[in-house]
Amino acid sequence: MAEISFPLPDLGEGLIEATVLEWLVSPGDQVERNQPLVEVETTKSAVELPSPQAGKVVRIHGGPGDKINVGEPLIVFEVPDNTAGIVGTVPKEEAPKRRVRLSAVLDED
Amino acid sequence: MSNATLESGAAMAEGTARRGVEQLSMQQALNRALDEVLAANPKALVFGEDCGRLGGVFRITDGLQAKHGTGRVFDTPLAESGILGMSVGLAMAGFHPIPEVQFDGFAYPAVNQIVCQIARMNYRSRGTMPMPITLRVPSFGGIRAPEHHGESLEALFAHVPGLKVVSPSNPHEAYHLLKYAATRPDPVIFMEPKSRYWQKGEVDFDSPDPAGSPTGGSPTGAKVMRAGRHLTLVAWGAMVARCLQVAELAAEDGIDIEVLDLRWLKPIDEATLAASVRKTRRAVVVHEAPLTSGLGAEVAQLITQACFDTLKAPVERITGFDVPYPSGDLEDEYIPNIDRILFGIQRVLEYKRG
Amino acid sequence: MDTSPSPLNGNDAGHLSGPHAEPLTAEQLRELYSLMVAVRHLDTSAIAWQRQGLIPGYAPELGQEAAQVGSGYAVDTTRDFVFPTYREMGVARAMGVDMVAYMSTHKATWHGGLYNPIESRLAPIQAVVGGSVLHAVGWAHGQTLDQADGVAMTYFGDGASSQGDIHEAMNFAAVMKAPVVFFVQNNGWAISVPTERQVAGGSVAARAAGYGMPALRIDGNDVVAVAEATRRAFAHARAGNGPVLIEAMTYRRGPHSTSDDPGRYRSLNEERDDAGEDPLERFRKQLLADGIADDAFFAEALAAAKAEEDDIRAGIQALGSRPGTEMFDLVFQETTPALQAQAASWREESEHV
Repeated sequence: MAEISFPLPDLGEGLIEATVLEWLVSPGDQVERNQPLVEVETTKSAVELPSPQAGKVVRIHGGPGDKINVGEPLIVFEVPDNTAGIVGTVPKEEAPKRRVRLSAVLDED
Repeated sequence: MSNATLESGAAMAEGTARRGVEQLSMQQALNRALDEVLAANPKALVFGEDCGRLGGVFRITDGLQAKHGTGRVFDTPLAESGILGMSVGLAMAGFHPIPEVQFDGFAYPAVNQIVCQIARMNYRSRGTMPMPITLRVPSFGGIRAPEHHGESLEALFAHVPGLKVVSPSNPHEAYHLLKYAATRPDPVIFMEPKSRYWQKGEVDFDSPDPAGSPTGGSPTGAKVMRAGRHLTLVAWGAMVARCLQVAELAAEDGIDIEVLDLRWLKPIDEATLAASVRKTRRAVVVHEAPLTSGLGAEVAQLITQACFDTLKAPVERITGFDVPYPSGDLEDEYIPNIDRILFGIQRVLEYKRG
Repeated sequence: MDTSPSPLNGNDAGHLSGPHAEPLTAEQLRELYSLMVAVRHLDTSAIAWQRQGLIPGYAPELGQEAAQVGSGYAVDTTRDFVFPTYREMGVARAMGVDMVAYMSTHKATWHGGLYNPIESRLAPIQAVVGGSVLHAVGWAHGQTLDQADGVAMTYFGDGASSQGDIHEAMNFAAVMKAPVVFFVQNNGWAISVPTERQVAGGSVAARAAGYGMPALRIDGNDVVAVAEATRRAFAHARAGNGPVLIEAMTYRRGPHSTSDDPGRYRSLNEERDDAGEDPLERFRKQLLADGIADDAFFAEALAAAKAEEDDIRAGIQALGSRPGTEMFDLVFQETTPALQAQAASWREESEHV
């Protein structure tokens, strides 16, 4: 598993910070790309930030009323680092299971 | 084996400075090999569906476009026959195309270009138009993918005169075999076992094969992955790892198994194959492809030819079945499993003449 | 993205002949809406199923509901036949296909799905891009030979239009005047490659002119426009006038598959700019404005969609693996001794389902 941190983006010209109004996701949630993550307020307006990607939420930064600077971490996702295929699943590495035992009288000639 | 040969083999791996060993997944090892091939040969080109910006659906070409430019690493329209047909023209123009067909089953629409053109252009042109094309094909099953994403095409391609076929079994082999294949003057079908893309393993950048190996250090033939005395398991691609597991289980029962990674499916390294079976006197060949007219038949015949007098039992084949590759729910029923391989070994062990 | 219907070299809609269908009734419009809601809900649920481990993968069709429901709705399942790709869940639903049997392909139960293609009039789910388009031409020519009046509709995308088979199919159909509707969903993306890097000239519909075939380029996010265009195309083909191509301009709002990461090749801003208005929301507003449906109806449609998804989910959950013997039994109509021997050794040596 790898973690991807999503910083607060620049929400408009010259804005350097935003205030968290309400988180719409919690750690542990599986979110989809474009799903609203958080409502934040800038000096211009209140906006919902959509998720830039699919993944599991690991951490969120800042509670309601907290200010976050542009470029600082807003949310951290956990993404599998080994599921690169466009289809299918990554096979599980399991201990080999057997039912069959071998028996042989070997003449070592 | 002379020292000179060994040195030239080791020197093949990147210059003179030693680069040591790294833990990489096969996906990373292949990516590294392509990166180095592109850096070393300005005429090398990497292309296919989603190979550019996306970095390939398995990320094998990840980052290569950003590093080497859109002229050398690029997305093509969605047409496999077009990808391979264009490769022919690029090869004629002096390039070394390294195209990707996104999945094994998507090679079928390109078979016309592969069989009728790529495989025989050198012959048709009397050697004046070689086809240095390295076709990468994510291959074989095991990932619960949709239809046409789990096929084993080695027998089909090995049967075509003018093609060479190779399949790596682990990250180390993937790195060295791809670097080697992508510098050959002939067309090579490079079959990547997609179920093994994510498993990590040691890649020794400096020496493809152990010093003193019969290949003189270059990854050209078969390779003994585990030495043993009682029976040789022959496999390639994803089945090598399974055969190594089987060998460990067999050891619990006092049976000492040698595992031979065939690596090159055409040409097959008959000498290494024969040497192994002459020693063990018993052989089982394992592959995912269907049984009938599979490459196992070819391997069994080569063993029989070379070792008939000393073989203790007929060569067994443990393979997929003569059925279309099944959906995910049934693929574990299809791919040779540990018990089926053990049954095959047992049959060989208890075989009595007459 | 220009989605306005465009006349194409004299092959535009005005050149389609055949009896004109009656306009869609209010009842039919409401039915179209209910279908779109059902499809939207099942589609987004299927992504959740994948995240929950119920199915290994899925190819979402978010944003293509109007194109799929509108076209599938025009099919006469008593005589027509449809050839899908792997992303035609909405077509299947509009045609009344059993959705547990359809979704089973995404559960990795059986390639092609478990529904009966002959009875449902929907060919098995096709994983080869462009793979079934020539089949539609053959089926349609069979109708001509049998003097029957069925029409084949075949689906493919902007990516598939690059495949040689597509061009062979169009040429065959036009030469033979086969009753085929080539339904192209141009959703803007072939995995990571945008249409402008895929389709030279920018229009699949424009290809039709070269094959002497009329083409309609329509707003694929307008379900009424899609349904009406498809009905006209069916009427044209059924009247013996040969094939028609419809290019429905739409947008793949989601990933190519549940394992795809669109963030590697397009930004959220690009998605917002290019996707246009959500076809479902757009239709809802239209029905409301035209006084054809009210909020109570919309709520009822959503409740029905949720109940339907519950049932399908339960069906998928209950679906066990197919017995392994089917691997061997279904290869041939007349099996072979070698295959029987392999089945016998499989029964003996493997633990099986």
